Amino acid sequence: MVRIVTVYGRLLLEAMGQTLILALSGLFFACILGLIFGLMSVVRNKVCNVIAVIFVDAIRSVPMIVLAYFIYFGVPAAINNMPGMSFTLSALQAGTVALALNCGAYMAEIIRAGIQSVDRGQMEAARSLGLPYWRAMQRVVLPQAIRTMIPSIVNQFIITLKDTSILSVIGFPELVNTAKNVVASTFRAFEVWGLVAVMYIIVILTLSRCAKILERRLNRGR
Amino acid sequence: MAVNRDKVKIHVSHLKKNFGKLEVLKDISTDIYEGEVVVIIGPSGSGKSTFLRCLNQLEEITDGQALIDGVDITDKHVNINHVRENIGMVFQHFNLFANMNVLRNLTLAPVDLKKATKEEARTQAMEMLAKVGMQDKAEAYPSQLSGGQKQRVAIARALCMHPDIMLFDEPTSALDPEMVGEVLQVMKNLAAEGMTMVIVTHEIGFAREVSDRVLFMDGGYIVEEGTPQEVILNPKEPRTIDFLNKVL
Repeated sequence: MVRIVTVYGRLLLEAMGQTLILALSGLFFACILGLIFGLMSVVRNKVCNVIAVIFVDAIRSVPMIVLAYFIYFGVPAAINNMPGMSFTLSALQAGTVALALNCGAYMAEIIRAGIQSVDRGQMEAARSLGLPYWRAMQRVVLPQAIRTMIPSIVNQFIITLKDTSILSVIGFPELVNTAKNVVASTFRAFEVWGLVAVMYIIVILTLSRCAKILERRLNRGR
Repeated sequence: MAVNRDKVKIHVSHLKKNFGKLEVLKDISTDIYEGEVVVIIGPSGSGKSTFLRCLNQLEEITDGQALIDGVDITDKHVNINHVRENIGMVFQHFNLFANMNVLRNLTLAPVDLKKATKEEARTQAMEMLAKVGMQDKAEAYPSQLSGGQKQRVAIARALCMHPDIMLFDEPTSALDPEMVGEVLQVMKNLAAEGMTMVIVTHEIGFAREVSDRVLFMDGGYIVEEGTPQEVILNPKEPRTIDFLNKVL
């Protein structure tokens, strides 16, 4: 055990760093996608509503491993088959897109539900004072919606962080992929996977503790 | 009270409102004059709240015309936000912004819409709060106020935009009985200052005392209208008589 830590500890820590990079870049774009599609599902515009529903339903129905394969192998293959086109994606780029799409669909649902949980009267009161729709959304509705969304968002962040492990299948050197290699060269499956599990626990517990503090801070004065 | 019969503030003709297949307002026409206090009474489901909400386009008008100060609010080219700046609205459930304290509730719209600087808005908000007797609660959050206090703040919030019309949608219906008086008093003061007011209410006594005109609505129509003397004390239509017998 001690030998695993001393010899491979640094490698696994670096791999955890890669996991975090992938997770953060995925989450960043997921938040943007989630906000766009979440807002599209609450505005009074049939076309926007339908597009948002299709996005969420399609992405949620596809397993993330299929999404990852499709983006990493499928899309470049299709583009390269076109005459005069050459296109490749790095594992990080493809992984980020897969995570962003997957997590973005769930975020869209969280944001939609959060906005809809705010009493309609809040929007009406803001509009009755002459505030335009988006201004009212930004000043009155969203700040209240975010409060209720935070626990679900944190939950989704944790799921996405763990889902980075699925992207080991496209060869991204994140924690699980690296651990596999370590096990292959040491045959110490129990120690290595145990260590990997503990590393995930530490990161995710830290994340959820920070979220609790943030939540408490946002709820101050209520 | 000083009603200026030369100036029509709200002109409504053949207004209709459908929710899907349901016709809520069938054919509403009336003129409301500057400084006039109009009270709308009628059984629930008669369309009174819907009518009020059509006047600032919180409900989209299905057919017919509504002019506010001569501006046709059903016209797609009219910026409804500008029209709304001059029409204050008070809701049954107060709808104070839960994420802001009282002062911020009052200053949000004037500052955001560049009607006043932060300082001006603040000074003016304190004046309005004093007017409704709530200056002590400027820093409080809505959740810390009683129903009557919330409603008085809501009235002050609407007044901060200096509207020349105020709409009240059952402003006392969600209040405990002992708090109804304080809100009605604020409204009486406002009426005495010459504000044009349209009020949906079940407070028949208040209607009698304060209003210049009473509209009785039922089934999507204005069934009877006139002074409180006429409509409340000597109703002519059987449906009005029936309704008043039930509520009085």
